[in-house]
Amino acid sequence: MVKTLLDRYDLTWSRILFLAGLSAFFVFFLFYPLWYAVVRALWVNGEISLVFFELMAGNPVYKEMILNSFRLGMFTTIATTLLSLPIAFLLVRYDFKGKNILNGLILVPMVLPPFVGAIGMKQMFARFGSINLLLLELGIVDQPIDWFGGGFTGVVILQVLHLYPIMFLNVAAALSNIDPSLEEAARNMGARGFRLFRSVTFPLMLPGYFAGAIIVFIWAFTDLGTPLIFNYRQVVMVEIFNAISDINENPMAYALVVFLLLLTVLFFYLSKLMLGKRQYETVARGHVGSATRRASPGMTAFIYSVMISLTAIALIPHLSVFLTSISERWFMAIWPQEITGKYYPLVYRHPIAGPSITMSLMLSSLSTVCDVVLGISIAYLLARTRVPFRGALDAVAMLPLALPGPVLAFGYLAGYSGTFLDARHNPVPLLVIAYAVRRLPYMVRSAYAGFQQTSVSLEEAARNMGASPLRATLQITFPLILANLVAGAILCFSFAMLEVSDSLILALKAQYYPITKAIYALMGRIADGPYIASAMGILGMLLLMLSLFLAGRFLGRRMGELFRT
Amino acid sequence: MVRVRLKDVTKRFGSVVAVESVDLEIENGEFFFLLGPSGCGKTTLLRTVAGFYRPERGRVFFDDRDVTEVPPEKRNTGMVFQNYALWPHMTVWQNVEYGLSMRDIAHGNRTDRVRRALQMVRMEAYRDRSPNQLSGGQQQRVALARALVIEPDVVLLDEPLSNLDARLRLEMREQIQALHRSLGITMVYVTHDQKEALAMASRIAVMRAGRVVQSGSPRTLYSQPANRFVADFIGEINLISGKVILLEKRIGVETPVGVLYGRPGYDGIRKNDRVLCAIRPEAMEFFAGTPGEADHVVTGTVRNAIYLGEMEQYVVDLPGGTQVKLVDSHPLIQKAIPGDRVRIRFARDAISILRDDGEDTA
Repeated sequence: MVKTLLDRYDLTWSRILFLAGLSAFFVFFLFYPLWYAVVRALWVNGEISLVFFELMAGNPVYKEMILNSFRLGMFTTIATTLLSLPIAFLLVRYDFKGKNILNGLILVPMVLPPFVGAIGMKQMFARFGSINLLLLELGIVDQPIDWFGGGFTGVVILQVLHLYPIMFLNVAAALSNIDPSLEEAARNMGARGFRLFRSVTFPLMLPGYFAGAIIVFIWAFTDLGTPLIFNYRQVVMVEIFNAISDINENPMAYALVVFLLLLTVLFFYLSKLMLGKRQYETVARGHVGSATRRASPGMTAFIYSVMISLTAIALIPHLSVFLTSISERWFMAIWPQEITGKYYPLVYRHPIAGPSITMSLMLSSLSTVCDVVLGISIAYLLARTRVPFRGALDAVAMLPLALPGPVLAFGYLAGYSGTFLDARHNPVPLLVIAYAVRRLPYMVRSAYAGFQQTSVSLEEAARNMGASPLRATLQITFPLILANLVAGAILCFSFAMLEVSDSLILALKAQYYPITKAIYALMGRIADGPYIASAMGILGMLLLMLSLFLAGRFLGRRMGELFRT
Repeated sequence: MVRVRLKDVTKRFGSVVAVESVDLEIENGEFFFLLGPSGCGKTTLLRTVAGFYRPERGRVFFDDRDVTEVPPEKRNTGMVFQNYALWPHMTVWQNVEYGLSMRDIAHGNRTDRVRRALQMVRMEAYRDRSPNQLSGGQQQRVALARALVIEPDVVLLDEPLSNLDARLRLEMREQIQALHRSLGITMVYVTHDQKEALAMASRIAVMRAGRVVQSGSPRTLYSQPANRFVADFIGEINLISGKVILLEKRIGVETPVGVLYGRPGYDGIRKNDRVLCAIRPEAMEFFAGTPGEADHVVTGTVRNAIYLGEMEQYVVDLPGGTQVKLVDSHPLIQKAIPGDRVRIRFARDAISILRDDGEDTA
């Protein structure tokens, strides 16, 4: 019996042990925290009750918050769509010199967490920020303009500028996967221009577009850092964040977390429902005409000017953060009154900033090690073996990609409160685990892609030549997928370094602050706080840029695949 | 070099039976072919010999050694993979050397053997290239050298020529055959290309749906197919159905075109059996003279003539709705046009009588 099972599924005792360990890991650090929040939200005084949800629906304050979050999500999604669709068309459908550079340029805005960008933006666009002062001085306006629309517009702008690359990657992939002959057939039938797009092209892109739109919407809905910086506090995430201090007294936070969770599930379920029967197999058969065409010089110039101005706008937050970081003083003035480099060295000496860098380095390294070990093993099981429950393993390993980060972090904090893992005493173990779980999909994806691209017969040929299974893996497959592994590890590491929501929620003592939490804390201080925070943001940005560049070198064109669901 | 024996080998994947109760004996030094349509289990069988699959039932022997439980790395087989499976991160030289370094061959000796193996396939000039810089045919030759350099007990080739273009395929056929002749090594070769098998094999096993349906020399398989599947799969064949009416030295079959005489293609043939008279297109010719005593001559109407260069193929309607193909090799002139009434003579001893099991062709 056991033997037939072992045969049927390629099971060995070591694999069984690993699967058991993995299941335990996911149960403790993925399902339990979520389950805990659900129980606390629904289990009231010894019975199941919807009282908190009734409160949520009835209380105008909560209704207002939920509505605001929805509006954030909607506006951000619509704006990123309008921005990404045209540029995807330009970059996918036209060939021109420097296309690769422009494709890379698209990703650049992602290197700064939007809440750090917000710090710089406030400096420039605040009521008495540079832009308004300039306009006043030039006499164009006589009252300062409220650029941020009470915070809402500011949050949307920052989110759009940060998220349109993700939308672009999804849309562009969907577009380039369309079999050109399908569009040719429509043209043959007389469709052209917008009609062709509406009737054939867009419906074919829909699965890819939805995937991107859901990521963007959920991201915007659950963003914590940006609303905090803009002091736009009437949103769900900020309310949950505020509730952390009295987590044991106020169960409303649990209800909100469960609400977020349900919303996410609903979204993914809806998209499955709508698209389940619409996964188009667009495998090209026979001769395929290329869907790209050579751009005329005029068109090339147009594409360049669009892309460069877009990137320039998207980099305003980065620029303003940089300016802030080098200003001696910058208050009620168009330009920094004095330039200085003194905040950069201060980053290392400051009592909050300095240790936070060490802390982040340690947390990110540990979580990356976890990701590498787990990611390679999971990818190997998925790609190369027939272990049972492979479908479930795949789904669970990818789940953190869909799950809003703050929800999980909140679950950790609440679920392990009072245990030896309590984040209030020492958040290090939970932070490492949170970082690791959230970035695990990147590592699994990279490694899995590597295994997929490396034919099994290469390893078999080595066995045939006399290499043991372990030796064949180490000498043949490992070197061939090393690029994928390195790229995956770099991504895990750098995203962990600049992780926002886990850090804000879980790190509650200054001695354990990671970089992002330190930046947030410094922002709240007058005097040199914002300047040091900006300098830290710039350093982080450089790190992320370098990492993305390296990962891109290792992964080549397949980089975009990591950011899609 | 070994004799490879498979005893009652069965291999399943889940509920799918890939290979069922296969018995085979492959002699020492033989060039043995596994031939069959895709999905017939031939590659599964080869991989079982290599050790990549462990059969659910049955044993695999190399000479008298039971190797069923021996892992692939301990079997000393040299396999040529369908996609060549050259390691892209190693040079040609390193690819070929790999098997020797696994065997802890001393360095000097190793260099010598790698060089000789590369010379054998005429690839020593490319020793420092990466596999990606080689053409399909060159990769194929490196894969061969890699399999041969370890002096394997048996060489296993999995559709090695299927990724090459037609001309190169012919060239490589000859090279592999020459290598087999000069090394005298046992080789097992998997293919779905019946021409390849006929041209190269010393013996062929034809497989269908996981079973071996007939094995024998190319000549035997072609001239005496054991059943309709083999007859159809190897070459083209005409089938005329009828009933056994005479059981003597030759078998007489009553058919719509008259009584045909042939050799029995199966054991236990009985009177009144429903059978098929199988005859190859090239064993028939147009006939103008007076038929002799022993001649089979039938009359029909030409339906179609297809000129193929080296031959001309005629489709002829015979009485009773039977249709046959015959070929005229060296067709300097067209001998008949559609609509012509023609007489056809069947060559002597060219008819095999097969069981009509009502099954469709491959």
